[in-house]
Amino acid sequence: MNRFDLLNKVQNILKDNLVICNIGLPSQELYKISDQPNFFYMLGSMGLSSSIGLGLAISQNKHVISIDGDGSVLMNMNTLATIGNRAPSNYTLLIIDNGSYGSTGDQRTFTDEKTSLKDVALGAGCKNVIECSGEETVNELNKAIDDKDNSYVIISKINSGNVKIDPIPLNPITIRDRFRKFIGKVKYL
Amino acid sequence: MKISKKIIDNLKKGGVDFYLSVPCKLLANMIDILENDKDVYYSAVPREEEGMGICAGAYLGNKFPCIMMQNTGIGNSVNAIVSLLQLYQMPVVFLISYRGTPGEPVGAQGGMAKITEDILQTLRIPMLYCSSEKELDKISTFSKHAKVVESPVAILCDFNLMKDDK
Repeated sequence: MNRFDLLNKVQNILKDNLVICNIGLPSQELYKISDQPNFFYMLGSMGLSSSIGLGLAISQNKHVISIDGDGSVLMNMNTLATIGNRAPSNYTLLIIDNGSYGSTGDQRTFTDEKTSLKDVALGAGCKNVIECSGEETVNELNKAIDDKDNSYVIISKINSGNVKIDPIPLNPITIRDRFRKFIGKVKYL
Repeated sequence: MKISKKIIDNLKKGGVDFYLSVPCKLLANMIDILENDKDVYYSAVPREEEGMGICAGAYLGNKFPCIMMQNTGIGNSVNAIVSLLQLYQMPVVFLISYRGTPGEPVGAQGGMAKITEDILQTLRIPMLYCSSEKELDKISTFSKHAKVVESPVAILCDFNLMKDDK
């Protein structure tokens, strides 16, 4: 199973939640599978998908899923400490860990060598850290959303590999405004 | 404490209701005030760049965020400012303790001080430079300006303004 297969499997769960999606191919693949107003495609700022989702979860009550990658979490690893100490129960971080920088040509990341993001997350103070296969991810994601008392970090271990795909054609302000409108925060649209 | 209280009062008057900080000794009194303020959200954050991301999420959730940091934090955050806050036109207030300005005892702070305003100018971020108590009255209007122009804005509080705020 690669990222595109995984996103296909979880798309029905994502549709019912606020989603912050990682830069590059993850966002492009999600856009191709199913574009929704409640999907915020992060077009720049590699590393910050987990952080944007955390700020959003703290600021309102709907459930937030941040989709991140192993390379991106390695770039902003302090995010796991902030999540461990501050994440509210309406927050789930889904790390799609394929051991590679998919958007830049599948170069290996350190999770393909010695680094365990599960161990890092636990050490950083995250309590509910699940490492699972791509096949198990739907079930784990549902459990995380159903648990109204705890936040979760789910590390989905899958194979590397991407589909051929175009950049997202949406204007950033369109992405921003339709997302805020979905939450019910933009009155003028 | 008087200066710090005035800064926070003006930020709140400007509508800011979500605060993060990467600590600085010049921000310590403001952090104390915010930790005891039940009306707003406050948290420490390990790194400024990460804080920009959290502020972006808070804005999407209809908060008006502020990140408090040293001017060195701007150096840590340039891509997040340009490729996230400015790309999506998100109002965020940067409350900056301007280390390395006259009165600063730590020589190593001088380097970033020399280029801080140049960086902000290059990024086209509106700036409010505060070196006296009187100038703090402009903070509420300046904060509201961030929302009007849908842009991050920077408030620079220099060393001499903050150092005697016991």
